Amino acid sequence: MDRGDSRTRFANVVIPHLDDAYGLARWVTGNRADAEDVVQEACLRAFRGIGGFTGGNGRAWVLTIVRNAAYDWLRKNRPPAVVHVDDLDAVERMRSAEDAAPAGDNPEAALIARADEVKLEAAIASLPAIFRETLVLRDVQGLEYREIATITDVPIGTVMSRLARARRRVIDMLGAHR
Amino acid sequence: MTENDRLLLNAYIDGELDPAHVLEFEQRLAADRPLADERARIEALRGAMRERLPRATASPELRRRVAAVARPRRFAIDWGARRGLGTMAASIVVAFAVGSAATYLAIRGDRGEPELLVSSHMRALMASQPVEVASSDRHAVKPWFNGKLPQSPRVIDLAAQGFPLVGGRIDVIGLTPAPTLVYRARQHVISLTALPVSLRARGPLRPIDGYNVVEWTDGSLAYWAVSDLAAPELENFAKAFRAGDAEP
Repeated sequence: MDRGDSRTRFANVVIPHLDDAYGLARWVTGNRADAEDVVQEACLRAFRGIGGFTGGNGRAWVLTIVRNAAYDWLRKNRPPAVVHVDDLDAVERMRSAEDAAPAGDNPEAALIARADEVKLEAAIASLPAIFRETLVLRDVQGLEYREIATITDVPIGTVMSRLARARRRVIDMLGAHR
Repeated sequence: MTENDRLLLNAYIDGELDPAHVLEFEQRLAADRPLADERARIEALRGAMRERLPRATASPELRRRVAAVARPRRFAIDWGARRGLGTMAASIVVAFAVGSAATYLAIRGDRGEPELLVSSHMRALMASQPVEVASSDRHAVKPWFNGKLPQSPRVIDLAAQGFPLVGGRIDVIGLTPAPTLVYRARQHVISLTALPVSLRARGPLRPIDGYNVVEWTDGSLAYWAVSDLAAPELENFAKAFRAGDAEP
């Protein structure tokens, strides 16, 4: 593929998803400047690899590259942030969600529904990276389970489990900090 | 609540539960108070995230940096003997073309309707708004077209089927101004363009750069739907639109 073809395909496949790319990078890195660096690096990789894009879901293809670039950035700049399932296990063992869930007419749901932007962002930001990205891909960017599975390179069952636990954790935080 | 119940509940809320199990799960929800309470909390969280977390937008500065990624390092245009003014003109044209993805799309020649429709759709996605008239009310969208085009399309309310109307715009496909309705499916945007029936599909349609294209005809119009929605879902949209009732 010559450079002209690459440019055309880049404009067609990558550019339309730039907002989503930036959104994901923003949530993974936690700030604007680093997110922009990650997106630029990801676009460079996407441009070099555009010949390997075989059609299909352009958004998932772009987000996969952004996600990998974001994790490379995390590993290099914030090694403690790249944590795994065990870390959330420890958090969850400290409380038992069932016992805390109030009976009655569900005042907790009302409290969560009223949570303001700052609280919401803080709760999501406090999740370990792999849970945060799953929640954001689903509930902020509206992707389907199978797309999230492709992007994060895990089976759908893992996506389901991460999503369920991420939501439970955020609900806990919003419900508890009254 | 077992771990498995929790996964099923989340999948149910996300519309990812196998249809065969939806009814069964709904019966359980009706009978199981803790499960129903947890559902209310998850729905509350999803609602709060949807309403209060703004979708991020790439800054103009980032767009400039990304455009630079694909900028050619040398110009491979052979202008032969036409030096001087010609060379300068060539540089301006190339710089202009790569300066904006939308412009770049606009100057590519030799394309059929599917490609033109996909590039209109992409151009709309890159704009700050994919519509010129923003309204979920078909009674507001249809008159907007009436004032601008000789023929206005059917405007159908598909919110109940999961495809809320976002608004409309006018695309120019080749040399034909065409009304385009914009619908949403979750976070995906669907552009539905009505063209004269002479511009119907001439063969089987394939995805173009990740966008699916579906076409059908209705009377004197050929309707073209473009979206990054999965092909079966876009077919469902087409089916819902064809089955929809434009009146009253």
